[in-house]
Amino acid sequence: MNCREFWENLPQRGHDITGEQAGHLAECGTCAAQWGPHRALAEGLHSMVEEWRKMEAPPHVEAGLTAAFRSQAGFRIRRSLRQSWWTPVFAWVSGAAAMIALAAVLMRGHVPAPANVAAPHRAPQSLVQMASLDADSDDDAAVLGEGFVRLPNAPRIDPNEDYNVVRVEVPGSAMIAMGVSVSEDRAAETLLADVALASDGTARAVRLVPDGGTY
Amino acid sequence: MAQYTAQTDDELLFRLRNGDEQAFAALYRRRQGAIYRFALHMSGSPAAAEDIAQEVFLALLREECGYDRERGTLSGYLFGIARKLVLRNLERGRADVPLEPEGDEVAPRELAVVDDPLAGLTRHEAIDALRRAVQALPRRYREVVVLCDLEELDYAEAAVVLGCPIGTVRSRMHRARALLLEKLNHDRKPRIAVDAWKPMRYAI
Repeated sequence: MNCREFWENLPQRGHDITGEQAGHLAECGTCAAQWGPHRALAEGLHSMVEEWRKMEAPPHVEAGLTAAFRSQAGFRIRRSLRQSWWTPVFAWVSGAAAMIALAAVLMRGHVPAPANVAAPHRAPQSLVQMASLDADSDDDAAVLGEGFVRLPNAPRIDPNEDYNVVRVEVPGSAMIAMGVSVSEDRAAETLLADVALASDGTARAVRLVPDGGTY
Repeated sequence: MAQYTAQTDDELLFRLRNGDEQAFAALYRRRQGAIYRFALHMSGSPAAAEDIAQEVFLALLREECGYDRERGTLSGYLFGIARKLVLRNLERGRADVPLEPEGDEVAPRELAVVDDPLAGLTRHEAIDALRRAVQALPRRYREVVVLCDLEELDYAEAAVVLGCPIGTVRSRMHRARALLLEKLNHDRKPRIAVDAWKPMRYAI
């Protein structure tokens, strides 16, 4: 180790020199002479560290900060109540619920057809009027038209009640379960059916669309 | 409180941000001494040091506190705030009295050859002499001495606090120690200039 290396590689704590550096000091009188004051300074600074280690901010500083923390924490808690994570979620859910309710209200008496369903048609009023003549017969076909079968437990459609007919695709097995006459070999097929929706949006009756697709 | 002493600064910070007062107290008690001493060494005023220590921890309470653990330790962040406040304080008070024009480009002069600049002084006198010498250093040298020698930050941490390369910290330390020795010698031999002391030594 030469003189330059000695001075450039001094440890941060000046009094903690390595064995190699101590060896250089033993060989080099110039560096040894200059090292003396450095060592004394390092030891003096070390004493100062020990002496000042007990020096701390006065207690009233902590007291003031604790008071500030408490007021800050209270402010944060109030803020978190106002702006917690679920606030926007709740807003979205409420908005969605309102939209659904609004849509349900608008759909009363007007149910849009699913994409894969033929355009709905309203039963001719004359048919309803004609069916009303036979209102006591509980014959849905007389009210709704040919082939309709009332769904289990569904109330009958009042002859004066407004309704829509929606054409949908239904599994053959489901049609059988609803009491529609479908041959067993078509139970696995997807069949076209007309569903009569009452003014309250509930399905009341269903009929199988014949292969030709028209009634 | 014992459960908090084993926690890291970052863990305590997380807790205090969630309203844990004990965590705040633990973090404050762990770090306030160093921050207060740094401010006191730098400003020379206990009142200013109190204000600075308080401001540093108030900054930590603010939600917009810019601490980023990726950029350094919480301790370093606190020292960084304290340093800015100290500089503001010094600018207001103009309390900085440099021994010579500041600048890293100043070439270090050869050290005066004195075996022990603190020899013959009691421990209390020696520490007092050192404190005055540190206080008299130009600000940029004083801060490296306070951070590295008195608060025992390593050069890398000090470089983050000061926002300069580690080599700059090292060179400032070298220069600061030379200036400290010069100041101590000057104070011990007030009528004999340091430069004039060398020939006398050879004449003996």
